Amino acid sequence: MSAAGRMASVQRFLEHWGVLLAFALLFGASAWRQGGDFVSPDNLRTMLNSNAAIGVLAVGMTLVIVSAGIDLSVGSMVVLAAALGTTAMNGMIGAGWSEGASVALGACVTLGAGLAAGSVNGSLVVFGRIAPFIATLGGLAAYRSMALAIADAGEIRSQSSTLFSKLGRGGIPLGWEKAGPEGEVVYAGLLNAAGKPLTLTYSIIIFLAVAVVAQWVLSMSRFGRHLVAVGANETAARYAGIAVGWVRFRAYALMGLLAGLAGLMQSSRMNSVSTSGLGLSNELDAIAAVVIGGTSLRGGFGRVWGTVVGVLILGMITNILTISNVSPYWQGAVKGAVIVLAVLVQRGSRD
Amino acid sequence: MTIKSLASLALVAASAALGLAASSAVPSTAPSPIVAQAAKPKIGVSIPAADHGWTAGVVWWAKECAKLHPDVEWTIATAESPEKQIEQIEALMAQKVDGLVILATESAPITPIAEEAHNRGILIVNVDRGFLKPVADIFIEGDNKAFGRKSAEFMVSRLGGKGKAKGDIIVLEGIPCTVNTDRVSAAMEVFRSEPGIKVVGQQAANWNRQKALEVTETMLAKNPKVTAIWASDDDMALGAEQALAEKGIEGVWILGGAGMKDIIKRVMDKDPMYPADITYPPSMIATGMEMASSVLKGGKKKEKLQYMPRHLMIDVDLVTPENAKDFYFPASVY
Repeated sequence: MSAAGRMASVQRFLEHWGVLLAFALLFGASAWRQGGDFVSPDNLRTMLNSNAAIGVLAVGMTLVIVSAGIDLSVGSMVVLAAALGTTAMNGMIGAGWSEGASVALGACVTLGAGLAAGSVNGSLVVFGRIAPFIATLGGLAAYRSMALAIADAGEIRSQSSTLFSKLGRGGIPLGWEKAGPEGEVVYAGLLNAAGKPLTLTYSIIIFLAVAVVAQWVLSMSRFGRHLVAVGANETAARYAGIAVGWVRFRAYALMGLLAGLAGLMQSSRMNSVSTSGLGLSNELDAIAAVVIGGTSLRGGFGRVWGTVVGVLILGMITNILTISNVSPYWQGAVKGAVIVLAVLVQRGSRD
Repeated sequence: MTIKSLASLALVAASAALGLAASSAVPSTAPSPIVAQAAKPKIGVSIPAADHGWTAGVVWWAKECAKLHPDVEWTIATAESPEKQIEQIEALMAQKVDGLVILATESAPITPIAEEAHNRGILIVNVDRGFLKPVADIFIEGDNKAFGRKSAEFMVSRLGGKGKAKGDIIVLEGIPCTVNTDRVSAAMEVFRSEPGIKVVGQQAANWNRQKALEVTETMLAKNPKVTAIWASDDDMALGAEQALAEKGIEGVWILGGAGMKDIIKRVMDKDPMYPADITYPPSMIATGMEMASSVLKGGKKKEKLQYMPRHLMIDVDLVTPENAKDFYFPASVY
């Protein structure tokens, strides 16, 4: 094999598996530097849990970007959907509804509001023929300001006493109680640093489930193949008889629905909605994860599993810098370098 | 109907609405007999957007103060960034305001525009984050070094007293700016002079509850056996509290800051998690507005400025269960 040939095959390998390699290297380096602090079940679960909502957004963003679009409004959709849902839930509790019904309906309002906001984005892009960047830039400003207006820029506290926050904090316990030698309570199974059982939160389960379904949609379903076709070459897709507008509309609407889901995950965990803080700059983290994961920003190619690894890489950087007490002001520099490096490595022959 | 014509219809409707809003903002032209002679002074209030609980409190107090002075024509503008704030101050200057009350998003970028306004003879009241040049007629700030020192000294006394204090603590910092630097460095100076106190984690959580939750849970995964948390802000205190709750860690207490009403209430109720709090009153914006309006009402600005303080440092108070009721404002948003 010639030197050039070898270079090309290395290039192809990196293009395909570079993100996993980067993940493994970063994980290995963190484990080596920090040892048990990093690879402890508590720390790994903490990392997954705090990135689950971003993960859901990033998965949705992958589908939008595959269709050669972009959605800058996801963080604002998160806060608007959560603000509306929590307000609705509080209203129902105030009107004397049962807590269970109020939480369930509030959750539906959150998801519905996300879907509606996403549909507005989709309509602007498809029917209004506005470039996705501009249409969703409008959404970025508008949806957040609506949320601020609802709460007078303050915080909306949930009036649900326990159920709502259980949704955000609860999950499947990975440890259990048992009687110790002297009859006292001890815990067994996977424990956290404080010796209490770890919880595999619903948020983590939702994130992984959304990722699996989205990967299936993208690579196996008709809708997924249409997304790729539209993103690769819109004109060709149109000649091939694909309803291009409808495909793109659904990508944005689905993104909105997932933003609603992320809003529900975050607001239930905080048991409140900070209209100025919730979802702030989530769009940048989501796009960064997609790019690191190897999805092409020009559309026509993408992989959800890469995005999931991208989310984990970003989460790992924050985590490792925090536990090693590095000044947080450096985190942005490290993240920026990783994003640019990822694109350089994966650029390959597609350019 | 085509999309284009729909869009233009929306534009027309929007501009009509704006026009209506603008005309309703113009003060009623019917002259009231008493104030017919003295024109209402125009005062612009430029403050950061409510990006965390404390700034939401600032916005609330600004509105409260404006309500108390209907004989002043107030314009309250909130900005998310220094660029936006400069734009707004320029717009206020174009409206020929007589005075400006400014809480800067950031000190350095706002200084030149404040200087320009000052040179035009506009009264400048600067609140909380100081300009880099002496262009303000009145400067009001909270004592941030005292904030850091008093809160740290309280922790030391609770951890065993001066020279004998013992404990592992976590330090949460705010948005990087002089306010945060003054607080943290004053507090760290106190902590460092105590050999028994170990700062096991120190991270910025930007005065934000969710960020505080995330960094605290990460630090707790490494150091579950902390004694106390210096959260320096009540939003961050709530985030830290949740991190403790989610990990099932008990017995850790938290010192927040800034005087959020819920935290003051819990200090008042002797909640063991919140033995104290430290104030940093968002009402200082109203203090500034009050001074601006008293200088500008009825003229004679120059004469009044002779005896107005040029620099006012508002003391911060340690809130304990004994005095908490003096700092509890149930009607405030913060």
